[in-house]
Amino acid sequence: MAKIFCIANQKGGVGKTTTTVNLAAGLAKVGQRVLMVDLDPQGNATMGSGIDKRQLKLSVYDVLLESASIAEARAASEKCGYDVLGANRELAGAEVELVDVERREKRLKLALAEVDAQYDFVLIDCPPSLSMLTLNGLCAAHGVIVPMQCEYFALEGLTDLVNTIKQVHANLNKDLLIIGLLRVMFDPRITLQTQVSDQLKAHFGDKVFNSVIPRNVRLAEAPSYGLPGVVFDASARGSQAYVAFAEEMVQRIQSM
Amino acid sequence: MTAPQVLVLPGWHNSGPGHWQSLWASAHGYTRVEQHDWQRPLRGDWSARLEEVVLGCSAPVVLVAHSLGCLLVAAWAAHSRHTAKVKGALLVAPPDVARDDLAAHLPGWSPPVLQPLPFRSTVVASQNDPYCNPAQARTFATAWGATLVDAGDAGHINTESGLGDWPAGHPLLLALMKD
Repeated sequence: MAKIFCIANQKGGVGKTTTTVNLAAGLAKVGQRVLMVDLDPQGNATMGSGIDKRQLKLSVYDVLLESASIAEARAASEKCGYDVLGANRELAGAEVELVDVERREKRLKLALAEVDAQYDFVLIDCPPSLSMLTLNGLCAAHGVIVPMQCEYFALEGLTDLVNTIKQVHANLNKDLLIIGLLRVMFDPRITLQTQVSDQLKAHFGDKVFNSVIPRNVRLAEAPSYGLPGVVFDASARGSQAYVAFAEEMVQRIQSM
Repeated sequence: MTAPQVLVLPGWHNSGPGHWQSLWASAHGYTRVEQHDWQRPLRGDWSARLEEVVLGCSAPVVLVAHSLGCLLVAAWAAHSRHTAKVKGALLVAPPDVARDDLAAHLPGWSPPVLQPLPFRSTVVASQNDPYCNPAQARTFATAWGATLVDAGDAGHINTESGLGDWPAGHPLLLALMKD
């Protein structure tokens, strides 16, 4: 049975998409069968997985509107070693179109059930919104991975997300929990980052992943080549950190 | 004939108590579409919220949008299946969201939706709006199939413009409410 995780943060620019594609590539690298679902109309996780969003014949939009199944709409990213249910700007329409349809929050969950046996992990890149798209991701998932930068306002984006997760947990998905906070773009030379990191550990305890993703120029460059850093330059420190994180995730789900 | 329900759509940061939108709402009983987050406007969330409010209204509906609210109307109308409920839209001071300084603060709003609106509309633009030059305002009006009204030197047509309840504006709304 596939373990399904949303990668979410209400604050933009926190390394959410970088985390999604690199964790997907890292998991594939350690032998896991992975589906990456791009729920963000910007389609950056799709492009960052080597799939051209402009060439998509079918996308997650068609799955949400129930005009295609995941088996029909997914694409295999051969370079990256995982499957992609891609997104493009068409998906922005779904935010409006899903408001008045039946089972509006559960469409992704139902669609994923059909391919459940084919994957070990499903990773969902959620948009930084609280819309029907994010809700579909949260309803489908077993847990949420929250990438965060260790900055002064790091917790700012968390309040809305935690409230949404609580509501979804109470009303729509009893399985949902925060799996953990992932420290990204970390620079230990910056005292403030070390302090915030210590505060996160003091406050959230073992909800903070042991793996830490360093600030790394190769990770930042990789998207312009349409690849996750883990694939673009496997020897880079950032890439190695994501592979270590993938291994940590595999261990965590064994205890779930 | 049922009187149209008027929905007030403020822009980024909402419209304060002295803004003509707030004054019209309290004077005439218009309904403000409350967004979940006025400080961090996300096009998808704002569009979904407008869709919910329109679904809860009985037709006919008339929209009165200011600034980012105008682009919300265009984005929503491109996807909603309920645009037939809308009789008309007054779109005041649409901002040039694709401009670098605005795009940086409002990611996700550019490119703006530039397709004809499926209802009657009027765009009101001023000659010295700091967020949109007259040529861009004309581009919006043409693309949306709207009538363009020149508000003269009225800045962003907001509280800072010192328009009070903007008496010159309300007749434009009343015109859209008529058959």
